[in-house]
Amino acid sequence: MSKLSKNFKKIKYDLINFIEPNIYYCYQCGKCTAGCPLTNFYEYKPHQITELIKLDRIDSIFDSNSIYLCLSCEICSNRCPQEINIAAIMNYLRNKSLQIGKPRIPIMSKFYKLFLKTVGRFGRSYEPALFLGLNLISGKLFNDLDIAFSILKKGKIKFLPEFIKGRKKMAKIIKKHM
Amino acid sequence: MVNKFQNNNLNKIAYYPGCTLNTTAIDYNISTKKLLKILDIELKEIEDWSCCGTTPAYNVSEELSIALASRNLLLSKSMGLEDILSPCVSCYSKLLKASNVINSDIELKNIREKKIRSSVFKTLKYMEFDCNQDFNFRIYSIVEFLYLKKDYIRQKYKELKNKISYGAEINVLKKLKPVCYYGCLLLRPKDSIKFDDPENPISMEKILEQVDIESEEFQFKTECCGAILSLTHKNIAFELSKNILEAAIDAGANSIIVSCPLCQQNLDLRQSQINKYYKENYDLPIFYITQILGLSLGLSYKDVMIDKLFVEPKYKKE
Repeated sequence: MSKLSKNFKKIKYDLINFIEPNIYYCYQCGKCTAGCPLTNFYEYKPHQITELIKLDRIDSIFDSNSIYLCLSCEICSNRCPQEINIAAIMNYLRNKSLQIGKPRIPIMSKFYKLFLKTVGRFGRSYEPALFLGLNLISGKLFNDLDIAFSILKKGKIKFLPEFIKGRKKMAKIIKKHM
Repeated sequence: MVNKFQNNNLNKIAYYPGCTLNTTAIDYNISTKKLLKILDIELKEIEDWSCCGTTPAYNVSEELSIALASRNLLLSKSMGLEDILSPCVSCYSKLLKASNVINSDIELKNIREKKIRSSVFKTLKYMEFDCNQDFNFRIYSIVEFLYLKKDYIRQKYKELKNKISYGAEINVLKKLKPVCYYGCLLLRPKDSIKFDDPENPISMEKILEQVDIESEEFQFKTECCGAILSLTHKNIAFELSKNILEAAIDAGANSIIVSCPLCQQNLDLRQSQINKYYKENYDLPIFYITQILGLSLGLSYKDVMIDKLFVEPKYKKE
């Protein structure tokens, strides 16, 4: 058995045993998908995700855009008649896929890393660094320039970052989880 | 949850502003502070607060998200406060999730949950916090908090009504025909939120009724605005936000009242981009609920920073 498929077996085991009630309670009513704001953008819709897990096709989920686009708005979990926590399942899969390190949408994982590094450095978010950083890693240098100007005009920005006292330990914790 | 108000009258509460309220939502921050001062509530800002980790931390590792959020809870505890007000809904949701892991009365269901709690405690100990104590954190969003205080708001309004000489502010208050937009995370997960109906909430409308402001019926109260995709997938965020603006206009509204800085930015700051993208002419001011309540209770435009809105109300001066 390859290392990756072992990983998938472990993920399925965790999902079934630790996120309650488990996905075998799902009877495919599709209420999650009906409420989901991103249904039109997903390659696999929420009710299909639970079915794919049952069919041992977690690799297909990792290859699709769904878990990366998911907004974590939790409407699926709220409406599930079986009270399955679909949003938690989506996040668990997203956590795992980012840890395995081959995300389908690389820009998102790059942005998350940039954000967390900034937070590690200062202890708080620092918008100018995020703005410049995102434009650099995405290669779209002029992205949102209009908005940056509006924010400047309204004076809704702090040019200097704020440092907190506990930041050094925070940076270490963040690094450990990335 | 229902009785969390009974053992405490909440006249003193820890305040977690979060990064957004410190910069691009400074108007929300200031108007909240000024409003709560009128309502005789003492806010104690959590000292040395840090970022809650928000979506990036949660998406990368649930454990990290809970650890980063918990740091702020423990700082609040060291100030002697376990009731925490978090106006930013994204922060609120992360603090709530953290409290659902570290609170002493939470029953952990399986070894994964136990593992997460012990790992979070280990991290907190590394940050030199004392974890050998009882935790009983209660996290409040601004809507829940104001809803609990609604009788007091009414009382204050009646008291002040005849004393206030409204300036130009009366224009906004008189011409306001708002819809209340709750956004996604304010009322989720439904098990943790007992003060309102998660599908058809009415708390914001009820709060505004206390100061004689009527709101229009709205179909999109709890639809997600897609703010977290506004940096990487603009087309999606625009579509979701446009639907909300469109629904507000269909409802006959001339403004939207929100309580989440991310929704506000997505609908207000990016309204010009949405107009460009769809060749539309939306012109809807997006107010924070604290700004409108503040104006009703006698604060000025300047006090609640109306001029910081990107889409300013046309009816401001008429």
